[in-house]
Amino acid sequence: MSRFRFRRIDPHTLAGAYALDALGEADRVRFERHLSGCPSCDQEARGLREATARLADALVTQPPEGMRERVMAAAVRTRQNPPVSRPDRAAWPARVAKPARGWWPGRRWGIVIAAGVLAIAVAFGGLAFHTQQQLNQERDRSRAIGAVLNAPDATMMTVAATTRGTVTIVMSHRARALVFTSARLPPLPSSQRYELWLMGRTGPRAAGMLPQPRAGMTVPVIVSGLRSGDMVAVSAEPASGASQPTSRMVMKVVLPS
Amino acid sequence: MTDGQPSLPASGQETGGQQARSPVAGEPGSGGRAGDQSGGDLGALLGQVARGDENAFGVVYGQVCGHVFGVARSVLRDPAQAEEVAQEVLLEVWRDAARFDAGRGTAMTWVMTLAHRRAVDRVRSEQAAADREQRAARADVAYDVVAETVAARLDAERVRRCLGALTDLQQESITLAYYRGCTYREVAGLLKVPVGTVKTRMRDGLIRLRDCLGVD
Repeated sequence: MSRFRFRRIDPHTLAGAYALDALGEADRVRFERHLSGCPSCDQEARGLREATARLADALVTQPPEGMRERVMAAAVRTRQNPPVSRPDRAAWPARVAKPARGWWPGRRWGIVIAAGVLAIAVAFGGLAFHTQQQLNQERDRSRAIGAVLNAPDATMMTVAATTRGTVTIVMSHRARALVFTSARLPPLPSSQRYELWLMGRTGPRAAGMLPQPRAGMTVPVIVSGLRSGDMVAVSAEPASGASQPTSRMVMKVVLPS
Repeated sequence: MTDGQPSLPASGQETGGQQARSPVAGEPGSGGRAGDQSGGDLGALLGQVARGDENAFGVVYGQVCGHVFGVARSVLRDPAQAEEVAQEVLLEVWRDAARFDAGRGTAMTWVMTLAHRRAVDRVRSEQAAADREQRAARADVAYDVVAETVAARLDAERVRRCLGALTDLQQESITLAYYRGCTYREVAGLLKVPVGTVKTRMRDGLIRLRDCLGVD
């Protein structure tokens, strides 16, 4: 039985594994050879690589104390490499030359990973089924949020609520929208939810319900239709939503003009 | 978490109650994610680094160190090894800044590719594998996920949401490979599904992820 049967499988299907660095050494070398002769595959691999790199956004971790000093000190005494004269398509970034190693997971290692799989399964337990429509909605929402965050006039503010917890708003007049998140607002009875309001000259306008918090935080919601001079406010309302506020605001934020 | 390391660390600290107003780093393209600290376009900064600008390197360090260390920590688990790899990666950024080619991808992706590959190379060396088995007995790593800015937290949240929009098999294949450093063959073994299925799920999962994240 041969372990690598690369030639018999469609190399295109390896683009995902390649982007995830999930190919063994031999598979990787062969796939990179394939990429160098297939511009459309190379294009796809690049796009998948961009997506893969975003996975690191969920891992951002404060480095240990002193690492900055150690790195800066090492840089000062390290000679820099010149640009490569001929762009090497597949080797971006240039890979550290290393001998191929036939490392295979041992049994105990497998158990360690299996525990990780369980953790993943728990983490995503509530999200088992998603339709294409949900995915599209999610994508549109992500884009709308991204448009606010990346707007040249985006402004961020964090404000304490009068009760407890904080809300954070990123707003853009240019995008006429804001992104709203909250942390540690007091929990409400199940019959109630927090509702967002835009308060302008013509009175309060309902701006959507805050989703149920997870681990005390609510996922970002986008509020569009922002007008100059608006304030943002939050109140506890019936879970079905109200068209006018019926209780005291737990916070109000005057937006910068 | 029995193994002490959630594959998707939960959101961590908060920004406190003070009123803070600051522009969000918002350069389009060139690795400009919301979570990047302001201080300039990462791609342009790499150009300065390539010319030996140590100050620019300091700014680059500030923009990428949390990501680089986070990836190393996720794949290697051991904080000491993770720091070693993170330092190697950051030094590689300094050394090879001139080799970053903006035509081939964003600066952040370049750095993260360096980081993930190094971490994976390390983890696949036999010695490291032996170390990991030993450490697995202890396995009480406290995860210290610090999204210092809300923008960074939003980035993290977005990734979690988009991962959540994948099928279970897509999700598991991608997270085992990226967050644990498994090869697709290992993933197939762990999930007890055919190798071909894993490859396909990795690819179509990443395509969905790409679309959900709005990556071009």
